[in-house]
Amino acid sequence: MTDQEIIECWQGEDAPLLPILQAFHNRDDHITEAAIKTIAASLRIPLAELFATITFYHHFSRDLPGKNAPRVCTGNVCCLNGGTQLLESLKAEGATAMPCAGRCDDMVPVLRGDKIYVGQDADSLENRPTPLPADNPGNAEECVFRHIREEGRSQLDGYRYSGGYCALESAIMSSRKELIDLVIDSKLAGRGGAGFPTGLKWKAVNEAHGSPKSIICNADEGEPGCFKDRAIMDHDPHALIEGMTLAAYATGARRGFIYLRYEYPETEGILQRAIDEALNAGLLGNDILGKEDFHFNLQIRRGAGAYICGEEGSLLNSLEGKHPFPRNKPPFPVTHGFENLPTVVNNVETLASVANIVRKGAAWYRDLGLGEHAGTKVISLSGDIQKPGNYEIPFGFSLQTLLHDWAGGPRAGRTIQAVTMAGLSGGFLAADDLNVTLDEACIRGRGSFLGAGGIIVFDDSRDMVSAAHDAMEFFAHESCGKCFPCRIGTQRLTERLNGNDKQLSLENWQEEVDDIGSVMKATSACGLGMAAPHITESLQRYFPEAIKSHLKKN
Amino acid sequence: MIAFKDKSSGTVAGSLTIDGELIEFRDGETIYQIAERCRREVPTLCYDERLEAFGACRLCVVELEGIHNPVASCTTMADDGMVVKTKTEALEKHRKTLLEMVASENSNLDVDPLSGYASQELGQLLSRYNANNGRFAGNKSGDSNRDDKNPFILRDYDNCISCYRCVRVCAEQEGDHAINVMNRGFNTQITAEFGNDLRDSQCTFCGQCVQTCPTGALADKKALRASDLPGDISKTRSICPYCGVGCAVDILTKDDRVVGIHPAMDGPANEGALCIKGQYAFDFVHHPDRLTKPLIRQADGSFREVEWDDALQAAAAGFSKVREKYGRHAVTGIASGRAPHEAAYTMQKFIRASFGTNYIDNCSRS
Ligand SMILES: Cc1cc2nc3c(=O)[nH]c(=O)nc-3n(C[C@H](O)[C@H](O)[C@H](O)COP(=O)(O)O)c2cc1C
Ligand code: SF4
Ligand code: SF4
Ligand code: SF4
Ligand code: FES
Repeated sequence: MTDQEIIECWQGEDAPLLPILQAFHNRDDHITEAAIKTIAASLRIPLAELFATITFYHHFSRDLPGKNAPRVCTGNVCCLNGGTQLLESLKAEGATAMPCAGRCDDMVPVLRGDKIYVGQDADSLENRPTPLPADNPGNAEECVFRHIREEGRSQLDGYRYSGGYCALESAIMSSRKELIDLVIDSKLAGRGGAGFPTGLKWKAVNEAHGSPKSIICNADEGEPGCFKDRAIMDHDPHALIEGMTLAAYATGARRGFIYLRYEYPETEGILQRAIDEALNAGLLGNDILGKEDFHFNLQIRRGAGAYICGEEGSLLNSLEGKHPFPRNKPPFPVTHGFENLPTVVNNVETLASVANIVRKGAAWYRDLGLGEHAGTKVISLSGDIQKPGNYEIPFGFSLQTLLHDWAGGPRAGRTIQAVTMAGLSGGFLAADDLNVTLDEACIRGRGSFLGAGGIIVFDDSRDMVSAAHDAMEFFAHESCGKCFPCRIGTQRLTERLNGNDKQLSLENWQEEVDDIGSVMKATSACGLGMAAPHITESLQRYFPEAIKSHLKKN
Repeated sequence: MIAFKDKSSGTVAGSLTIDGELIEFRDGETIYQIAERCRREVPTLCYDERLEAFGACRLCVVELEGIHNPVASCTTMADDGMVVKTKTEALEKHRKTLLEMVASENSNLDVDPLSGYASQELGQLLSRYNANNGRFAGNKSGDSNRDDKNPFILRDYDNCISCYRCVRVCAEQEGDHAINVMNRGFNTQITAEFGNDLRDSQCTFCGQCVQTCPTGALADKKALRASDLPGDISKTRSICPYCGVGCAVDILTKDDRVVGIHPAMDGPANEGALCIKGQYAFDFVHHPDRLTKPLIRQADGSFREVEWDDALQAAAAGFSKVREKYGRHAVTGIASGRAPHEAAYTMQKFIRASFGTNYIDNCSRS
């Protein structure tokens, strides 16, 4: 394609910048200065701004070897399982490191162009599909994974075979309000980390003035140790599409975007095929299911490597082609979202739950949870555990049962030393504090949070200070640089954990780490900076001896 | 209660309590603006009242009753009934920690005031909070660009604290979008496209970025030439001599030497803005070639220095001669399009009344 063809292909569409950049990146293997000049002129973006925005994204190459040079995951699980060595062995091909690429259940992922290969060493690298979740080990009733293991589920026929799109068919027979009330009644809440009640979000967008409204699926899944959205999208893409279309019906939104992380290249193809199938079957597009005036235009936009673009304000700026700093809140996306118009931003898992909730009822969903907790949560379990993978648990489920009964416990001869919560954002829970139930109330009681449900296991062979260092290094790498406490704080905390701190006494070390942590938690402009100090806090709480010897080593 | 004296301009939107005092506010006011109005001295580093509030430095955080974390007062709109505290022990401690963190990433905290209008802001806050004490030592975040060859702006990013005021003033006030934020996190840098020198960018050298920089990371190269001159800096309010806009300036002098120009933030015509000429083109003042007396050309072509009276007499005589010899329409006046109203008015009066011709126009049409 010529420059002009690429530009013309996207210029009239919503959110054109990312796909244009991707197209040049694909064609030339990197984004050249000439391309940047052409794009800036065509989209009327100031040149300095476009240049700077491109540098924000980890995966956009501006030099050769570029896009097709291998990127090896050295994320927090992979670096303990051969990632670092694999990177070393691929250096001759121009390999570079990338943060957690969301394949912690099937390591080590290597991204080459638009394909993910996995393997423990250079010779065994192989392109294979995302692992399916294992059968539920406790025979617990599921919502999200209810049908995911069925043959042909990722195609429309297979999806329809077990009742797919019935929820949409029935929902449009009644009013928006009934659908919204049902979702409110089910107590479904955001599964992307913040846990905001989904029905209330939809209600706010339905009631907000301004159009066109948008539904955005947050498929950025950047949190280390989280790989549930990938499994859902790869194996049950229509569940997501049906959920988004239901959200569109409930809110009157006509535009939809799936903001997909760069590290899931094959997922884009799977989603696009499913969208095309749905379009052809009249389940997307104009007059959906023959209903007059029910239009929903769904498009995929791929990110380019930035954890912060999972934060909704940053995601919206990224979609709009702006510098992806988070936005100041309020106003919230429900009133000032995509292009400052009312917008639902929901996680993949949240949206993929909706169709089953509509089909089986609010009470059914609520009752899936244990005790007073409603519903289920997919937990991505990885690290030093026998059976890593995605497990759908009822809220309120025992962590110990998940670790030992469902996932087979630690590897032979090892014991669990600690696990993380919320991927990395919740910090660590140590072995003697694992008698918790998996629900926000309980986990928050431990000074942590469940968040998106990533749990990484560290056994007794691991150095917890170095695990904490790698975690903090991730946050420093991903801090957007907008606000002072996080931009400087993540850097200083990484330095305090890197073993090069020769001058500090234990007392001063602790005072500095505490002061930085508390200023980050209290004053950071978004959740990244607020959450990062969970790492150092929990390290200090559970592993004071390890810190002492870390400082003595110097 | 602090109520508005002048009820006419804009309706009162509500009232909130700041540090125990009930205060009225108008629609669209932020907590910070109200606090400033009531002289609370809330510290800031990323704030410039001319720019959209950005919320980067987090020094302006205040406590809001009913909300767990403090909020940035600069980006938070006032709401009726809010109860705000601007100066609790916890807030002051956070502010001090933040300032210590900022100090730790900078290589030079002793900044020459000739660097720019706002260049002392960081230094002043550090001493107010007694915060420059070497805690949090570690890597520096700057990547100096001192060898940018432009003659006006020193780019010493070793002192940069990533407040992005320069980027925002360039975009929001100037509309030039010459600079932006490259990379992210601790590695952010201020850059023109492709890392170019400013001369190879959209920069018009208006100097706005220099004047809003709170650290002297962007500094006035021309003013800094005078940093070794003895004497204190004094400021004289004046009007830029170049064009009809009439930007207010503060002329910086050491003894009787003009050493630099600051835009006047309260100048009614410019509100802190200047262009390259008003900002940097003052060297003519002390230039040896500058004419300081009128000259009259002699018969042999050489010039003779005279007093103003003689010069004006000679000019008047010349004009009269032309009119007598060739008639009143032999004279035409072309006024500078950049002259202020008053001068343009005087010019047309002069041409019409004293020569009796309507041949008067201005250069933008001729
Ligand atoms: C630093 C940061 C990263 C985030 N990353 C993601 C993400 O990758 N996926 C996601 O769904 N939500 C993420 N979130 C949460 C979103 O901001 C937002 O709350 C969520 O997408 C809303 O959807 P939900 O209500 O369905 O959970 C992130 C938040 C922060 C602060
Ligand atoms: S907390 Fe970190 S990631 Fe969030 S806005 Fe601040 S610098 Fe950016
Ligand atoms: S001098 Fe003016 S135009 Fe140049 S970068 Fe600074 S603000 Fe922008
Ligand atoms: S150069 Fe100055 S104004 Fe610009 S970001 Fe750095 S400190 Fe702020
Ligand atoms: S002035 Fe509010 S964050 Fe800087």
